[in-house]
Amino acid sequence: MTELTRGAYALPGTSLTFKTGTWRVQKPVHHYRPAPCRNACPAGEDAQAYLGLLAQGKPQKAWEAIVEANPLPAITGRVCHHPCESACNRGQYDEAIGIHGVERFLGDEAIRLGWAYPVTPPAAEARQVAVVGAGPAGLSAAYHLLRRGYRVSLFDSLPVAGGTCRMAIPPYRLPRNVLEAEIERLLATGIDFRAQQQLGRDVSLQELQQDFGAVFLGPGTQKNREWSIDGAVPRDLHVGLDLLKEWMTVGSMIQASSVAIIGGGNTAVDMARVLKRCGVPTVHIITHQSLPGDGEDAEDAMRAIPREISQAQEEGVIIHPHRGILRLILRGERVVGVEMAHMKKLPRPDGSVQRVPFEGTETVLHVDQVIPAIGQQVDDSGMADLLQRQPLFSPDASCALPGHPGIYVGGDARPGTGSVSAAVGDGRRAAAAIDRYLRGLEPALDNLPEAVPFQQINLNYFEHAPRIDAPILPPAQRSGQEEIETSLEANQAGHEAGRCLSCGNCLACDNCWTLCPDSAVLKTTERAADGSHYVFDYDYCKGCGLCAHECPCGYIAMEDEG
Amino acid sequence: MNANDQPTIPITDLRHRQPRFQGIESGHRACLGCGEALAARLVTEAAGPDVMIANATGCLEIFTTPWPESAWRLPWMHSLFENTGAIAAGMEAALKAQGKSTKVLAFGGDGGTFDIGFQSLSGMLERGHNVLYVCYDNEAYMNTGIQRSSSTPHAAITTTSPAGRERMGKRHLKKDILTIIASHHIPYAASASVAYPCDIRQKVRRAMEIEGPTFLLIHSPCPLGWGHDGALSIEVARLAVKTGLFPLIELERGELIGAMPLRDPRPVTEYLRLQQRFAHLFKDDPRARQELEHLQALAERNIEYYGLKGTQDDPRDSEGADTVRRGGQRWA
Repeated sequence: MTELTRGAYALPGTSLTFKTGTWRVQKPVHHYRPAPCRNACPAGEDAQAYLGLLAQGKPQKAWEAIVEANPLPAITGRVCHHPCESACNRGQYDEAIGIHGVERFLGDEAIRLGWAYPVTPPAAEARQVAVVGAGPAGLSAAYHLLRRGYRVSLFDSLPVAGGTCRMAIPPYRLPRNVLEAEIERLLATGIDFRAQQQLGRDVSLQELQQDFGAVFLGPGTQKNREWSIDGAVPRDLHVGLDLLKEWMTVGSMIQASSVAIIGGGNTAVDMARVLKRCGVPTVHIITHQSLPGDGEDAEDAMRAIPREISQAQEEGVIIHPHRGILRLILRGERVVGVEMAHMKKLPRPDGSVQRVPFEGTETVLHVDQVIPAIGQQVDDSGMADLLQRQPLFSPDASCALPGHPGIYVGGDARPGTGSVSAAVGDGRRAAAAIDRYLRGLEPALDNLPEAVPFQQINLNYFEHAPRIDAPILPPAQRSGQEEIETSLEANQAGHEAGRCLSCGNCLACDNCWTLCPDSAVLKTTERAADGSHYVFDYDYCKGCGLCAHECPCGYIAMEDEG
Repeated sequence: MNANDQPTIPITDLRHRQPRFQGIESGHRACLGCGEALAARLVTEAAGPDVMIANATGCLEIFTTPWPESAWRLPWMHSLFENTGAIAAGMEAALKAQGKSTKVLAFGGDGGTFDIGFQSLSGMLERGHNVLYVCYDNEAYMNTGIQRSSSTPHAAITTTSPAGRERMGKRHLKKDILTIIASHHIPYAASASVAYPCDIRQKVRRAMEIEGPTFLLIHSPCPLGWGHDGALSIEVARLAVKTGLFPLIELERGELIGAMPLRDPRPVTEYLRLQQRFAHLFKDDPRARQELEHLQALAERNIEYYGLKGTQDDPRDSEGADTVRRGGQRWA
């Protein structure tokens, strides 16, 4: 046989000796960025992470990813106003992912299957931290301190833990068995719960400061704001939150044929819905603010959760937006009606706003009860020195109280929160700050980078898919304490997880691996240290940027070569 | 997350443990974002290791085999521009005489297929050789410096079809090679695009199963010749399909048996605007406007003639065929 001369052939695969990586002026890198849902979550949950784990068929790992940030997913999955879904990039494509339904599903699965919180009991000599108030902020702070290895004593004036979740959120939004199960499981992780210990009565702040390395205060807002109309107050005045608490603990409710509730927050809306359930035929809500989503300034909308407002309207609650009360119509000291008028927000010369009733818009509403639900303030018992007669505390972003080292405040007791999720987030941030404080480190905040914008998602690679929401009880059946919203089935939760666009994180879709013209993307599970399934082989990557452009998730970025 | 962590497994080992057959190795000299390099790798991956290749002169031949190196991991032979069909036919006959079942592939660019090698290709098809002929269509003679071929689309600029006072780019139309191939009544002929790798693989596998001559035309963007960023190669190829300018069709014995439906046909300007070779069509010039209308009409003619407009959402249509799944399941 004829021998081929050397010039006539080359050996297979020998081009590997030629490193085309030297051509590169830009290189692709895996660039994790938070999904918008993560940055929007007041509790700090990374929904993208747990949706991804659920989509991989790992529900327990998914739940563990939630409780990294939030130990109460069965509760927040029900009561949160889910800003994650408003921020979801998929909302600009078809419909946002039903994140709250998945969170709720995973929270319920954890209770049903008894998944253990990823917490190890603290060492006997570990430093101790006191947490005052066993509401969502206090529970979250206690849990996160425990995770960081501290021994935690949790004080509450009531015999049971739960705070606002127990006292002010009606069972039709948060069934008691769920609340009990979640809190019982959480306390069993090793939190030393000291019931019926009220600050200023059973224990003093000075004692706590002496006995513990740091103190977290999550007292909530327990004191009613003063309310009157030009000094007039009906004799039998009932305040919204007090009535709500009474109904939930004792089960009693006032009798009336027509009630006007004043306020636009969650208490007002919950109160109205409870009254309907207790048989009051006509329930009005009178609020200065607008209904959410009617195209007006979102700042001016009612503070209650939009979903709850629309459900209240379905149940027959009459809402009068942009209305203010001019006068109580009294027979003796009993209310027989209110006079209200349309109000408009007008700017004052100094930039603040003023609400002005318009002449000629006065109407009279015949009611036999007026219930103010205009907000609460901190009850300063045992904390008068800290509060200095202010209605709320003003801690910094890490929840530290300026001028009082070692004291941290979170939850409803500070301005700008007002949700269970925000309280949970406060507890988490405060625990991190307390940890640094006790270790003698400077405070540091976890500033998340900017979220992946919608424009960086390559939509060519996604199909439209309808969102699945769990069925909601029709208004005619919403009479008792039965929960209105139901749970997703396992396959439905999986469907929602599968709809996630995986913004800013690897979907392991193989696009980069399949489409690289230079075979410079290598597939691996064990080698990819950054959580993706691929590595770039920079010996051969020419830096064309095709992988970055075709990454569905915006996870690959091009960087200039140094 | 840290992308700079050092590998625990050496990357060279990793390269040899990839869960796919790699017919072309890294280190080849294709330009950044080369559509042809990608298409050839996808074809060899689907065809598998038991093949032999005859490769016409052209970019693919040049960039994979700068002597003394070769990027190929397959038996591969450089034929000339004009005789790839004949060489492949001879290889097939020789293998047959030895009683071997190794499939012969013939690779050529559009110049080597539409123009120079057309006669020998026609002969190979006519004699019924068991060869899969793959034409990587980048619509001009890119290797020699972007001269027009009979595949260059109407109104595109090349170095031999410039835009100016007399003409708005190429005066003539793109040759309808598939219809000519189909007239040989071969068992299977199809068009594909690098923007739809699953579709390429399905068509290659289908052709591999057929005993007899088969033909695959793969639209492969050339960033240099078309004048777009290498990062946009897939985007450009995808829009060629979605506008209807490059229909993905299948023909058996000369009859149309399938076409990838377009869910939402795009205006041709979306495709043209990304490429410098059509930049003159976006100038304020009545001739430019007329050419844009002409190209839109050509796309509409394709949509009508091949029945491309989908009637309902279909997982295999232009929008559904590239849907990604977590864990790469779409490639199954």
